[in-house]
Amino acid sequence: MTQPTRIGLEPLETIGNDTPRIDAVERVTGAAQFTRDVKLPGMVYARVLRSPHPHARIVSIDVSAALALPGVLDVITHETSPIVWGSGCVSGGRQYNDPIKDATIHRRYIFNNPVRCVGDSVAAVAATDRNIAEAALDLIEVEYEELPFVLEPEEALADDAPRIWPEGNMCPDTRNQFEPMTSRIGDVEAGFAEADRIFEQRYETGFVHNAQMEPRCALATWEGDKLTLYTPSQGISNCRHDTARDLGLQDHQVRIIAQYMGGGFGNKNQNQDADLVAAELSRRIGRPVMLEYTRRDDWLGVHGRWPTVQEYRVGVKDDGTVTAMQLRGYSGMGPYRKNSGGISGMDYYACPNRLREIYPVYTNRTTSGNFRAPSDPHGVYGVESIMDDIAYEMGIDPVDFALRNMRRPTEEMQFTNYLLEEVITTGAEQFDWQARRRVQPGSDEGPLKSGAGFSFMMFRAGLGTSSAVVRVDSQGQYILYVGVTDIGPGAKTTMGMIAAEALGVPLSRVEVVWGDTDRTPYSVGESGSRTTIMTGYAVVQAAENLKRQIADRGMPDGADVLIGTATPVPTTDGLIRQCFAAHFVEVEVDMRMGTTRVLKYTAVHESGRIINPTTARDQIRGAAIQGIGQALHEDLLYDPRNGQPLSPGYYRGRHLTHQDIPDIDVTFIETDDGYGPFGAKTAGESGIILAPAAVANAVANATGRRMRSLPITRDKLLQEVSA
Amino acid sequence: MNSDSFDPEAEKQAVAPDAPESPSRREFLETTGATVAASTVVSFATPAMAQSADTAAPRTAISVSVNGVRHEVEVEDRWTLAELLRDAIGLTGTKIGCDRSECGACTVLMNGAPVYSCSQLAVWADGAEIRTVEGLARNGELTPLQQAFVDNNAPQCGFCTSGQLMSATALLAANPSPTADEARAALVGNLCRCSNYNAIVEAVVAAGEGGVA
Repeated sequence: MTQPTRIGLEPLETIGNDTPRIDAVERVTGAAQFTRDVKLPGMVYARVLRSPHPHARIVSIDVSAALALPGVLDVITHETSPIVWGSGCVSGGRQYNDPIKDATIHRRYIFNNPVRCVGDSVAAVAATDRNIAEAALDLIEVEYEELPFVLEPEEALADDAPRIWPEGNMCPDTRNQFEPMTSRIGDVEAGFAEADRIFEQRYETGFVHNAQMEPRCALATWEGDKLTLYTPSQGISNCRHDTARDLGLQDHQVRIIAQYMGGGFGNKNQNQDADLVAAELSRRIGRPVMLEYTRRDDWLGVHGRWPTVQEYRVGVKDDGTVTAMQLRGYSGMGPYRKNSGGISGMDYYACPNRLREIYPVYTNRTTSGNFRAPSDPHGVYGVESIMDDIAYEMGIDPVDFALRNMRRPTEEMQFTNYLLEEVITTGAEQFDWQARRRVQPGSDEGPLKSGAGFSFMMFRAGLGTSSAVVRVDSQGQYILYVGVTDIGPGAKTTMGMIAAEALGVPLSRVEVVWGDTDRTPYSVGESGSRTTIMTGYAVVQAAENLKRQIADRGMPDGADVLIGTATPVPTTDGLIRQCFAAHFVEVEVDMRMGTTRVLKYTAVHESGRIINPTTARDQIRGAAIQGIGQALHEDLLYDPRNGQPLSPGYYRGRHLTHQDIPDIDVTFIETDDGYGPFGAKTAGESGIILAPAAVANAVANATGRRMRSLPITRDKLLQEVSA
Repeated sequence: MNSDSFDPEAEKQAVAPDAPESPSRREFLETTGATVAASTVVSFATPAMAQSADTAAPRTAISVSVNGVRHEVEVEDRWTLAELLRDAIGLTGTKIGCDRSECGACTVLMNGAPVYSCSQLAVWADGAEIRTVEGLARNGELTPLQQAFVDNNAPQCGFCTSGQLMSATALLAANPSPTADEARAALVGNLCRCSNYNAIVEAVVAAGEGGVA
């Protein structure tokens, strides 16, 4: 098989060796049990009714005909079940902050009135089978008073725009103030005054759905006042806490079970409205309730990457030094603020004068939320597009332009280690950058034009708190208890490998218990690329704790066991900890058809020490391919006349298939900065950040035309080249 | 694990106590655990079927062979083949990703050919031979394709894996030594949102006779 190129460190005993997943057999035999595969005695099925209107007041709901359908057990609406979904809309988009959730003035309920987008939940039905539940949806009579709607963030800020919330359409910040997110460094006007040339450009990016293969579902069952939820959650501890909060329970009254789940990509941390709806129905009818979302439910009722408008202004001296950077950005959050609406990328530059103002704005599109590196790929596309244009305009190689202007350690801002230059120069050499890029963009003769693009990044790898428990018996068998779920990256295997290394035993001696809040301690969840470094570090510390006990007392005898635990609070001693990467892409554009084909893709990453090279490689390869999809295909389009979504689902979303995929070459430059578990850094999200920028720059290099809107679809490209 | 026999928990729930001619659980496991050639007639009803009887949904008796085991079963006419496999027979290895022929997670083999089981009615399977992911391994021994999926990290989240395996099984039956391009063409109807496409194709090529394990 194609293994990643590795530069730097030798494998340890277990860590660093290509290791098949310890649950791989379950995944290839159908034995792995996903939430929808669980069947409990007496279980019934539920379906959700969704708004057909982008903005409407519900005047009345008549559920009598639905309730009269044989097999229907219950129908709930905003009238019967006014339950606040606390993490569904949070001032400032701070989903993990309880005080801010309490203070949030814009409350999102599991059923809202008014409904604020097509797909907003209106009612839910429980019935003895799913086909009856679905049939009952058609029997619910809802009288709507349609309201004016707005889809585009800039239009939504106009004085006369339809108001989605009483205060207007700016999203509130953490203090419930309606101000843009502003970050100001140095004196941007002085920086522009210092510049010899000033460049301005505007970019737009589309809504990209997470589109994980497993549609959202939840199975709820109560025993007395204790709720058990089987639900595909990326963070069982957070899901438990949020669910308990929303239902007025203590954490210990909620048990979350999520072992195998069909992807998430950010969409499934915290609790979800499906969890609350299933719990409410189950509580009311006293039976286990399996709520299943259809694919369309999932597309419109869940979340994806926020669409943005980005207006940049950049000042440059004749020698290619950037003196000022300014961004005014608009992020379309849909009708609820699920996340920040951030637009990142300017921070990769050393430029001392920067001003960034981002307006997170409510619209009547579906809600935006977390998608793998939530603030980054669209922002890096914007920043790197204008920087690439500046470099070519000034006759500078974009790689040299980056090396001249990128952020480097300073006396005030030291890194645990800094590998940005190495990933860029290594990537340029492996990719053969000089041979593949066109010094004169668009210079190929004929309708098939090739070109190359590149982009670079650093991404947070800071440490934080998580917990682990490890136990040993007198037979020398170890059990590791970690509150991770296995959403795809292979966390269960990674945790086992870290434990085996730290304990000094083979991986086969370590059993991993995971994915169940009643059996495992707190874990941060599979979001923010935190599991390997944070829960992994807790595993190391729990193993150290156990080894000290063994050293003091010897191995346990008979039925005795020893248990090591840890909830470390690691720091990086005031140093900045980042992972680093550079991606290089070659494309071929057919100027007649408007199609773009990726010919070669080289990704060079520094993610510290790599725990399992095979699964780390596939995090990068899969993420890069998702990023190519964002660059070329994916967008949830809306009809501006009626506010209806036009491209929900895989077919209309035109997700990449086997035949659209290039081989992604991955290289890891491995280091150990002395922090994290054996020096491991973040990996999972970082691979998606660079693809949209690198692909867009390659298209510009091939065609000589800058595509200012993602995705770079055929129609946009043909329009541009015929202009 | 023995994937020729049903998961005992699923089987316990799938066999209603009052189902006519329902074999004992022991007989059931023995017969389904037997070789594929000795296919056995089993007939049973499910709780879901019993409950939905009061809706008077039209029903049809069919006979279908699944992984070598013959099932005489009465299905609602509106059931998809995926619903029959997952809910009535208890073979949940087949996944439903879109329920409308877009993603391929539900791919099974019908008379040897890959089909989307979400878009086949169960009644259309009358008389057919169906093979699901549970029917690949024999007595706990993985097929070379399954082993190649393990060795090449072909599943990430695993939700599309069953469908990818079934399409690739059909490919290898017709073409024992596929190239990477042939594998991509055969699996084009199976989406993977983890986008682990490179690893899946590497696994399929490695499983072929010309492949490098």
